[in-house]
Amino acid sequence: MITASNVDVFIGRKQILHGIDFEAAPREFTAIVGPNGSGKSTFLKALAGEIVHHGEIFLNGQPLHSLKPWQAASRRAVMAQQTTLSFPFTVREIVRLGLTGGFSGARPGEIEQLPERALEAVDLKGFAGRYYQELSGGEQQRVQLARVLCQVWAPVMDGVPRFLFLDEPVSSLDIKHQIAIMQVSRDYARRGGGVIAVLHDLNLMAMFADKVAVFHKGRIVAAGAPRDVLNDQLVERVFDCRLRVGAVPAPGTPFVLPQSAL
Amino acid sequence: MTTRLDLARTRAAAGDRSQLARLVLVLLALVLALAALFGLAWGASDASMWNLVHDWTVRGESALSARDRIIIYEIRLPRVVLGMLVGAALAVSGAVMQGLFRNPLADPGIVGVSAGAGLGAISVIVLGGTALAPVIALFGIYALPMAAFLGGLASTLILYRVATRAGRTSVATMLLAGIALGAMAGAFSGLMVYVADDRQLRDLTFWGLGSLAGATWTKVLSAGPIIALALLAAPFIARGLNALALGEASAGHLGVPVQRLKSIAIVAVAAATGAAVAVSGGIGFVGIVVPHLLRLLIGPDHRYLLPASALLGAALLVMADSVSRTIVAPAELPIGIVTAAVGAPFFLWILLRRRGILDL
Repeated sequence: MITASNVDVFIGRKQILHGIDFEAAPREFTAIVGPNGSGKSTFLKALAGEIVHHGEIFLNGQPLHSLKPWQAASRRAVMAQQTTLSFPFTVREIVRLGLTGGFSGARPGEIEQLPERALEAVDLKGFAGRYYQELSGGEQQRVQLARVLCQVWAPVMDGVPRFLFLDEPVSSLDIKHQIAIMQVSRDYARRGGGVIAVLHDLNLMAMFADKVAVFHKGRIVAAGAPRDVLNDQLVERVFDCRLRVGAVPAPGTPFVLPQSAL
Repeated sequence: MTTRLDLARTRAAAGDRSQLARLVLVLLALVLALAALFGLAWGASDASMWNLVHDWTVRGESALSARDRIIIYEIRLPRVVLGMLVGAALAVSGAVMQGLFRNPLADPGIVGVSAGAGLGAISVIVLGGTALAPVIALFGIYALPMAAFLGGLASTLILYRVATRAGRTSVATMLLAGIALGAMAGAFSGLMVYVADDRQLRDLTFWGLGSLAGATWTKVLSAGPIIALALLAAPFIARGLNALALGEASAGHLGVPVQRLKSIAIVAVAAATGAAVAVSGGIGFVGIVVPHLLRLLIGPDHRYLLPASALLGAALLVMADSVSRTIVAPAELPIGIVTAAVGAPFFLWILLRRRGILDL
């Protein structure tokens, strides 16, 4: 269980987050949505222990600030929005970095095969020998996800559920891989782990998320199951854009939703 | 051996270069042993390699004359050992610094760390008889490497503070700050030269060119322990430096204690560079050429890159020294001239190949 209560974050003098109360349970996919600059990524960074915050954040009941880096790393893995690399690592070497702390939870005999299995999970079988820098943006994003999966491979270790923190994990992906990656994440939650993901695509969110928290100007303005939260008023207020939820375009206008995947 | 190589090749093609790296490490150890043997046996005097090997392997009457013994054990051996220590120190400092700054161009010589260490060393040489006499009395033979260490540490810390913001190092800022630091250390060094007397000036000039000449067991003893400590720290930070390639935040998420890692890396670089500069002056470009070549060969995994850099750095410096002391025999060329003549064009070549690097 991840809980945050009354979290404030200041960057310089500007207050980015105002009194955030948030919960994410294991076995659930918790989405974070909101317009640009609403504080979604900042909040995820606070959860990851990356930036200074006021208020309390608990990882499975333990205060975040009391955890050493390696203790936090055994309870959650974090995928940043962007990762630039300074040296010519191969894909396999990058994915292997996920095993740095030794928290994968896989059996000793399995560990050497984990990078290949993680790559297979993100549909990059056969990419292990390529150089990371030569891949496309979407491929790089999936390599990072494979690395993150390696870090907390077993969703539950020693009876403790573990979490994936994903900041826009599908932002550079084509629709096939968007769906595939969302499935991988949801599957992680189904197997006992937890997922917290910042998403921009409301349709993917509605399709995969069990819970959603809607950010607006540094506050959470709505939270709950997507079907309870997503409505015309909320979308107009938060995104400043007059849209209708569930409206079907005029006949003959093409549109493709992930929900239509067979 | 061939099957091993084949296996290593297949694994490398699948993105796993660890087998290949291990083979290269073994090979480099052999190269280093050969270079050392060569350095012992080759020189202006004709104490030959066969006589030396003969002397080691066959009991009884020695093929070496007493004169040859002194040349080999009191002149060449300390010089070879010092060359290995300095070469390993410079190459590993370069590799660690590049990992720390997440940049293949970071090198203690280029970004002003050596200049800072040099200022520390020059201060001791010039002021050792006067203002710094108590320091010399206290630290003895370690005063010079200690002063160089402190100078190097100060430069590294300033450089890191200036060039790194929120876990990201700006390459342009780093290189420019390095120029400023080098100029500053150069100005103060110039001041020292100004107040130096004639004998000190001569010492300084030769020292500044970069040379292993005048290597003695005392020098080996003064720099050896510091360099050995810094090299021993390397295996403990290798995994952390690998994670750091993803950025400071991501390294932290992987469980790496980033602040501690950075502190160890900075102190190790300053210590190794300082000690090397103190005993050998400005030997340039080893720290950039060696790690770069090895990254091309075995990849950037620091678990293998750091020991491989130590071995290759040591071997290259011993070989360069053998060249520098025989090419114009009976005189000798400062080794700094040899490494700069080879290293500077190499550095330009890296820049040419990676033009976009300043935008990183």
